[in-house]
Amino acid sequence: MKLNKLLRLLAPFAIIGIIIVFVLNFITHASIQHPGKSTYHSKCAQCHGDNGEGIKTLTPPLFKADLPIQQFDSLACWIKYGMNHPIKVNGIVYDQPMYPNELDEIQTANVINFMCQEFWEKDTCINSIWVKEKWKTCL
Amino acid sequence: MSAKNLFLLIPLSFLFGCNPNKLPVYGNKTAITKNENGKETIDSIDYVLPNFAFVDQDSNLVNQETVASKIFISEFFFTSCPSICPKMQAQMLRVYENYRNNPDIQILAFTIDPERDTVAKLKAYEKKLEVESSKWHFLTGNKDSIYNLAESFLVSAAEDPDAPGGHVHSGNFILADKQRRIRGYYDGTKEESVQKLLDEIEILLKEK
Repeated sequence: MKLNKLLRLLAPFAIIGIIIVFVLNFITHASIQHPGKSTYHSKCAQCHGDNGEGIKTLTPPLFKADLPIQQFDSLACWIKYGMNHPIKVNGIVYDQPMYPNELDEIQTANVINFMCQEFWEKDTCINSIWVKEKWKTCL
Repeated sequence: MSAKNLFLLIPLSFLFGCNPNKLPVYGNKTAITKNENGKETIDSIDYVLPNFAFVDQDSNLVNQETVASKIFISEFFFTSCPSICPKMQAQMLRVYENYRNNPDIQILAFTIDPERDTVAKLKAYEKKLEVESSKWHFLTGNKDSIYNLAESFLVSAAEDPDAPGGHVHSGNFILADKQRRIRGYYDGTKEESVQKLLDEIEILLKEK
């Protein structure tokens, strides 16, 4: 009987606690930006646009870009070593050299995942192990 | 000093502060002696950009006559530039879109890699940016002349095998008035700096 009374007394606190946890969870999720976002804006956005729109037919868009699997697999290499050959994106051929970026495997994975989420509507694509594996295959 | 006096200073500072609606004239003035009615006087003349002559993406000659009585915005770039150029062009496109129908405005883009940037290469580049050649001239010519011109514009351009693409250059946009005087420098890789350029073109358009 005593335990029952104690539980009744504590129930409101438990409910409040659960609400607090929910609210905090929501706030932190909304305010913490994707770890790849700042890298994208400092390294990629200058050519590919803040929203991945690209520049006319000079540099290709990333937003809703149709990336065949071979191209997707080359992303890690292009980011690290740059790229100097024409590429077809959404039916248009782009021929503008891309410069290499000094990013480690975690930063590279973060920025690719950011693009997956922002531009390709996937939650998480890859991880740093994938990046390291791909780097071994760079030509 | 009381708070009241301080408030009085605010309108005063507006009176004596620099006029925000007047753009500076860059470069050193030259002193000249004038002979007026047998009397010698010393006058100073503003720095004026020198004459130039290059060919554009349509193989047309572009020189100081092309920009006579026009406001023109210049940039130094090269088509194979992997670093800052795409960003510069994205920003220059804003200038282009704003003034594409204004006959008083011209855009000049000088390549600092004229050996590789042939007329055909520049034409292809123009097509990629989807702009009109009459408004935005992409210019090539003698390398020394281009580098000398960059110096006259008081901006840097040089070959550097260590730099991405083999050249270093400033990402500046240079605003010049109808008398070919330099009136402003803007960072062509920064959106807010190019916004300033757009605002200052408006000021220059109203200048008599």
